[in-house]
Amino acid sequence: MMKTRETKQNELTKAGLVLIFLRGSKRWFALAAIFTSLVSLLELLNPQIIRFTVDSVLGGKEPDSGGLLAHLPGLMGGVEFIREHLWVSACAVLAVSAASLLCRYLFQLTNAVGAETLVETMRNSLFGHIQNLPFAWHMTHQTGDIIQRCTSDVDMVKRFLSEQLTGIFRIVILIVLSLCFMFGMNARLAALASIVIPLVVGSSVIFHRKIASKFRECDENEGKLSTIVQENLTGVRVIRAFGREQYEVAKFDAQNRYYVSLWMKLGRVLSLFWMTGDLIGALQVLLLLVCGSVFAIRGELTAGEFIAFLSYNGMLMFPIRHLGRMISELSKAGISLNRIREIMAAPEESDPPDALTPPLDGDIVFDHVSFGYEGCPELLHDISFKVPSGTVFGILGGTGSGKSTLMHLLCRLYDLKPGSGSISVGGVDITKIRRDHLRKGVGIVLQEPFLFSRTIAENIGIAVPGIGMDTVRAAARTACVEETVDRFKDGFDTTVGERGVTLSGGQKQRTAIARLLVGRSPVMIFDDSLSAVDAETDVKIRRALKHDFRGRTVILISHRIATLMETDRILVLSNGRIAETGTHDELMRRDGIYRRNYELQMKSPEDEDDAPTATVSAPRNAEVCRE
Amino acid sequence: MNNAPLRENESKRPRLPWFGIPALVPFLKPFRRPMTLMVMLCLAGGCLDICLPLFQRYAIDHFITGETLDTLPAFIALYLLFVTGSFVLNYGAFYHAFFMEMNVSLELRRAAFNHLQTLSFSFFNRNSVGYIHSRVMSDTERISSLVSWHVMEAVWTLIFMFGALAIMFSINWKLAAGVSLVLPVAALVIVVFQRALFHVNKKIRELNSRITGDFNEGITGARTIKTLVAAERICGDFMKDTREMKRTSILGMHFRSLFTATVSFASSLALAIVLWRGGLLTREGVMEIGTLSMFMSYAISMMEPFFWISSAVSELIAAQVNIERFSRLVNTASDVADTPEVTEKYGDAFRPKRENWEPLHGDVEFRDVSFRYPDGDETIFEHFSLKVPQGSSVALVGETGAGKSTLVNLVCRFFEPTAGQILIDGRDVRERSQLWLHSHIGYVLQTPYLFSGTVRENLLYGNPDATEEQIELAIKRVSADRVIARMGSGLDSQVGECGDLLSTGEKQLISFARAILADPRILVLDEATSSVDTVTEKMIQDAISEVTRGRTSFVIAHRLSTIRSADMILVMKDGRVIEHGTHAELMHARGYYHSLYTKQFELEAVKDLSV
Repeated sequence: MMKTRETKQNELTKAGLVLIFLRGSKRWFALAAIFTSLVSLLELLNPQIIRFTVDSVLGGKEPDSGGLLAHLPGLMGGVEFIREHLWVSACAVLAVSAASLLCRYLFQLTNAVGAETLVETMRNSLFGHIQNLPFAWHMTHQTGDIIQRCTSDVDMVKRFLSEQLTGIFRIVILIVLSLCFMFGMNARLAALASIVIPLVVGSSVIFHRKIASKFRECDENEGKLSTIVQENLTGVRVIRAFGREQYEVAKFDAQNRYYVSLWMKLGRVLSLFWMTGDLIGALQVLLLLVCGSVFAIRGELTAGEFIAFLSYNGMLMFPIRHLGRMISELSKAGISLNRIREIMAAPEESDPPDALTPPLDGDIVFDHVSFGYEGCPELLHDISFKVPSGTVFGILGGTGSGKSTLMHLLCRLYDLKPGSGSISVGGVDITKIRRDHLRKGVGIVLQEPFLFSRTIAENIGIAVPGIGMDTVRAAARTACVEETVDRFKDGFDTTVGERGVTLSGGQKQRTAIARLLVGRSPVMIFDDSLSAVDAETDVKIRRALKHDFRGRTVILISHRIATLMETDRILVLSNGRIAETGTHDELMRRDGIYRRNYELQMKSPEDEDDAPTATVSAPRNAEVCRE
Repeated sequence: MNNAPLRENESKRPRLPWFGIPALVPFLKPFRRPMTLMVMLCLAGGCLDICLPLFQRYAIDHFITGETLDTLPAFIALYLLFVTGSFVLNYGAFYHAFFMEMNVSLELRRAAFNHLQTLSFSFFNRNSVGYIHSRVMSDTERISSLVSWHVMEAVWTLIFMFGALAIMFSINWKLAAGVSLVLPVAALVIVVFQRALFHVNKKIRELNSRITGDFNEGITGARTIKTLVAAERICGDFMKDTREMKRTSILGMHFRSLFTATVSFASSLALAIVLWRGGLLTREGVMEIGTLSMFMSYAISMMEPFFWISSAVSELIAAQVNIERFSRLVNTASDVADTPEVTEKYGDAFRPKRENWEPLHGDVEFRDVSFRYPDGDETIFEHFSLKVPQGSSVALVGETGAGKSTLVNLVCRFFEPTAGQILIDGRDVRERSQLWLHSHIGYVLQTPYLFSGTVRENLLYGNPDATEEQIELAIKRVSADRVIARMGSGLDSQVGECGDLLSTGEKQLISFARAILADPRILVLDEATSSVDTVTEKMIQDAISEVTRGRTSFVIAHRLSTIRSADMILVMKDGRVIEHGTHAELMHARGYYHSLYTKQFELEAVKDLSV
């Protein structure tokens, strides 16, 4: 089931992706194309009116017979009438302009609706898709890169589809009709005028292709410069503490100069290119002026035709120069689209249709679990243990021993590979449980908790829709953060993060604990989540937890023996293997890692009389909390 | 806890006078030459561009109407001359605009970056990294494009408009007056729409940064969102933002296209006037057909400048915010600054005069120190005095927020006391340069920061001249050798984006080794080992006692077991030092320290039972 889905998604082609994104915006773009075609048609009318006015009304030449346009003067009262009342021509110009502008307005509006619908669809599907991607994907992709794909690349595709795609109708119609009119008036002159078309388009395409790599180089170096600033700001404390300002400035300066020098090189080439385009255009006009004059003297061309011819030629030049840019944009947009496709093609997390939603208050069993990250050596080796329902379970382990990974496996942030053991809750294998159900039931506070740039109240209640303020406060109280929050000017309505107040590590951890508590999950995991909280608050929190959440399964990861000795059972992890398990007393009787940790933290070599550690283990089951 | 960032007050601030341009003058001064060149070239090029329709007029009136080709070679030659001239001049103008854009942004970025290196920590506490980053990168870009491209556009546009009008007036002032009738109409339209567009554009920019922020949060917070099963809520909120963006963008487009349509209609009006009145003149033989066609060319191209002007105006208005924020940044005075005399003798952060530096021995004295954070109203210290003799170790104990970090920040002169003095080796810290002090301090932070690059580059950060042996020794001392051995390429392994590939504990070990390598006289450990396991911490403890021998050290720790051997323990509460002494003295005193210490060992139960 998963397999077929995966292959299907991997086959997501660029065209397929465009079709998905165009859902809902297609009709707007179609409308926009119709309006822009109308605009081009109407714009082409005005030179005809001018030609007619100059030649027939002012010049006294017989109007062309035949053709639809020839009947129009008749409708307006005939040539004679117009000659006497020239404002008719003027009004005709105005009327055509008004109609063309109305169409242009409608084009721009429908096009904008299409483009904005498109970009909305793109952003929403990307965002939703990213949320549903497995965590392993997030770990292997850099944040900055993904964000760039979701913002700049989306903009690039949007710009191309909205500005260029509908623009192409206009350009094609303009070019074809201009040429038609021009050939209609004087084939030889028209042929001369169109010589430049392949020249301009071809050279423009080649130029833009060539310069694309230079642009990329500039972009990359801008990225590097930006990274230097970013690191300088994030690491400002380290830089100051080591007094390395001079070094930082030199590093920044070098990159700043290099980046600018790259752009200057590009600038020279670009200026030359644009100006050459202007030059070619001007030379073509000269050609037309000279040949047109010659033809006119020979009587092959009227003055009005000549003026109209120059107008059409002016209309031709712009789209032709634009065409080259468009073709090069096409390749840029293609690259961007491909970068977006890479995200969209990554398979989402999905549950089999028969996924279960069992109660999660049963025993948690790890059965011969082994695990290693993709492309890394195995981290956890053959781990088996059981967390009985309703008990408090402690885990101790060295830096990098795999404690957090063990918990991430339980939440299914990562999945076990087949054949490397299993994890079950209440006797049900967790791979058979619906992911969201499992994660709601197994709550975790991460070691470095993440808070959203919202208010503190919103942060605490984020997972529980329609939560009341009382519940939020109660949870904050249990997590010992209520008082702190009340001291802020806006209390629970204080915004945290980039856009607001910066919380300290301990405050963040306590807010994250409150957030977990409102979820009332039957299983709660604290992944070293009190490390930044001082010892006194640590005790307060644990007491309150014991009081309010009796009967829940709790897994506590900690370095603090004082924390661990209160648990019902302790597991000691070392280098990805279980080193010891047992109650505090059992572990103390053994000469192992636990006891060594205990001695390091508890025993006081100089003042034995002041720290009565000898009696510490005796009453550990006595109820600590007696409020 | 007054951490409200600067930008909150932005809307309340008065607008800068003269569109903020005077604020930029000092930065533009070095570019007087290229700027003048750009404007002159652009003026000249514009003049040539205006004349091109005259050729058309001549061709029609002289060649076609006159049925003669007598002056054709001269005509071609003159045209080529004009075209070549325009090519050269416009190329020059373009190139100089590029030059201005790139070099002004270079200077602005440099000014901002250099100034940031001198600002005190209170600035960085108030403003987020993202906010400052976009001041350095985006604002400078916007400003430099304003003073280059938009100035050039404005110059070209104005010269074109006035030049065309001048030619038209010189040929037929009545018809020219007819054409210029539409100018005030167009100007009025610009003003009206500019106002509407300003708000929409501002809103779009805000929404845009909000959406980027949403993406950032959705990606960096992915793990949290997953474990909380909050994806639906987050996606729902995101969709609200994108929907609003869509609505606002369409509204913006509505205004913009209405604006374009109105201005274009004004241009058609001019064309119609020319056709009507000019046609009458031509019919009566007062004006030739070629002149009429030239008038029509001008009438049509007259509207082009209006689009440019309106885009330049809207850019100038939009860039106000950038100019304002940028000039505020470079004018922010540092709370902690060396006096000119000190800089004279010891050099500044960029040009230190190391030859004048005295050695630092490490006697630290607080003399009657009071301190209040610049943006806070709580006094942290009041008339606090303390002598720390050279080579002794001081431990700081107390709850979160008790003021422990503040005390070490004062020692490091990251902040300066509001009253009183801090003396190093018997002299006020302000008598020597910040760099002198910082070069002798090793600071290991609770949240360790590693730069992207290899482990070795990070270790060498504090002491670029360290030998291989010194590196090895430092790593061994903090027991980081195991961590580094696990990292594939050893010392040359990449630490990843902001050290992301390492755990917090591992990063702490490496930053500790980095501090040791710098061989500082004063060592500050701000909970340097909170995320390291106990066995490793024990090893580091041993290392600390060895490393701190002979150096003055300040150690902040939550785990009280780690600081028992300190020469002096300062117990802090609510911004005050309430007890101090050695561990034994404090335990005997049975005060706050005693209760903290015992509490940490969970001995309440024992007490409860034994009482």
